[in-house]
Amino acid sequence: MPPIIEITDGNKAFSGFKALQNINLSIAQGEIVTLLGPSGCGKTTLMRIFAGFESLTSGSLRIDGKDVSSLPPEKRPVNMVFQRYALFPHLDVFENVAYGLKVKGIGKDEVRERVRNMLRIVQMDHLQQRFITELSGGQCQRVALARALVNGPKVLLLDEPLAALDLKIRQHMLTEMKRIHAETGATFIYVTHDQDEAMILSDRVVLIDRGQIVQIDTPQDMYNKPNCLFSAKFLGETNILHGTVVEDAAGRRAFRSSEGSFHYQPTNEIASKSAAIMSVRPEAMSLHAENPVRDNAIPATVTDVLFTGSRSFYHLVSDGGETLRAQVQNMPGLSRPNVGDRVHVCWPHDGSVVLPASPGH
Amino acid sequence: MILRVTVYLIMAFLLVPLALIVLFSFNESPSFTFPITGYSIRWYAQIFSDPQLASALWKSFWIATLTAIITFILGAAASLAWLRLGRNGRTVLEVLCITPIALPGLFLGVSLLVLASQVGVQLSMITIVISHVVLALPMLMIAMRARLVLFDPNLEEASRDLGASQVLTFRRVTLPLIAPTLISCAVLSFALSFDEFVVTAFVSGTETTLPMYIWSMMRRTVTPLINAISTLAMVFTIAIISIALAIAAMKRATNLSSRNAA
Repeated sequence: MPPIIEITDGNKAFSGFKALQNINLSIAQGEIVTLLGPSGCGKTTLMRIFAGFESLTSGSLRIDGKDVSSLPPEKRPVNMVFQRYALFPHLDVFENVAYGLKVKGIGKDEVRERVRNMLRIVQMDHLQQRFITELSGGQCQRVALARALVNGPKVLLLDEPLAALDLKIRQHMLTEMKRIHAETGATFIYVTHDQDEAMILSDRVVLIDRGQIVQIDTPQDMYNKPNCLFSAKFLGETNILHGTVVEDAAGRRAFRSSEGSFHYQPTNEIASKSAAIMSVRPEAMSLHAENPVRDNAIPATVTDVLFTGSRSFYHLVSDGGETLRAQVQNMPGLSRPNVGDRVHVCWPHDGSVVLPASPGH
Repeated sequence: MILRVTVYLIMAFLLVPLALIVLFSFNESPSFTFPITGYSIRWYAQIFSDPQLASALWKSFWIATLTAIITFILGAAASLAWLRLGRNGRTVLEVLCITPIALPGLFLGVSLLVLASQVGVQLSMITIVISHVVLALPMLMIAMRARLVLFDPNLEEASRDLGASQVLTFRRVTLPLIAPTLISCAVLSFALSFDEFVVTAFVSGTETTLPMYIWSMMRRTVTPLINAISTLAMVFTIAIISIALAIAAMKRATNLSSRNAA
């Protein structure tokens, strides 16, 4: 199936400042793709280029097979949900949702039918006559979704739509968003700086840093197989060790750092003797009083324990002075180390990822 | 308690003179003292039987109406510009639009008179309207700025995104949102123009507006005619506001009923 939206060699510069560089991305019909990155990385600019509020300095943008570079926002088959909703305060809920259909000159009966149907989907049909100022944040969010989706966009663009909501409603709206996506079958492109939102919602995550795409992968692959230090650190928490890749006489690769030599399963080609980093997720680590030998291990001292119910987070300092964080599942009857205890921080050979040390990050 | 009494006192201070004017405009005798001996509408009749007064009233009405319309249009244009300009552009626009308010009417009148004679424009209704616009625009811009800083520029983008062209976006989003402030400013401009005296005196030439006529009348004697004129002006203003509100309510009602019909 041809991609619904495709950007090729996209570049965007604002008076000399390179906001986006070499963007290549193609998104299939029905996907939920998140553009993830720290604030100022260019993800909102990319979204505004899709919507038509900004144009590419160079490169091409195709939506549903057609080049849209020269089309103004009102002529593009995409709709956007704005960060602060941008609902029309002089119109009520019904009129807000009907706006797009009315300006396109669609007949009254059809407008009424489609608006009502969409309000049912977002569960706002009982508040049709309310004005926007009389709605809560979560309700505004639903109206904003309905206002965009009622037009049947080929692609729905969402610009940090949950940023203005508090945590509880945010989690609820995430599941709602998934349901609405399933019910409408539209393609969602979702901008966020929140890795949790990205992982919960997306089919694929596009990680952006300083105007460039760093990695495009499913949430699972991006978490388990980051392709660079930035990916490893941006998604979830991780321990980073600096060192070099070495090769023994039998040709087995190992990672050598000031903390010791560690075995790992190579997933990428890093030349022997070159500088590298090792990323170990806190949940891959376990704490043992005795060194179990079969795993990688670093002797360390517990400096802090954060008990959160089902899990405990350990802060440790290795004998070499490295700060480590481990996450341990709590089980009844299991004794746990306390602050000040000497332990061996262990992880299995396949519990880490070794990446080339990139000077850029 | 003290606060409440203060509020009532201030409101009484503001409203009692207005009530007295209305009351005395129906007084039969020309005196301004209680007790009122009888009621009549002779002062109202006299307004329309005095051709000079009627013509001055009519002239002032037209000048004020034109002033209100022109300030409305210029204000809408300036507001649109303000929304699209950057920080520096906004500052320039504000300085240009708001400075005249800092000038005493006396100097403004003299400079407008000098300008008119330099350019060779005959003093007439036109010059009066121009000078009233110069006076009213700063006041409108101050009020509009307070409204515009609250205007979310994303609203215009949302409208474009939903398929409306730039012109349609202006008609259906921008204008409806800034119109209430613009209209109230236009009503204020009307009032400002209707009783403007100082600047008008310089630029009116041979024309006589209502304030100028009343002033010349008052130099001879204080007449209850003024009460009737003021009452009419007041009724007119209240009527305009009520009609505007009624139209808005009616629009909303028909809108809702047509939607719920099927």
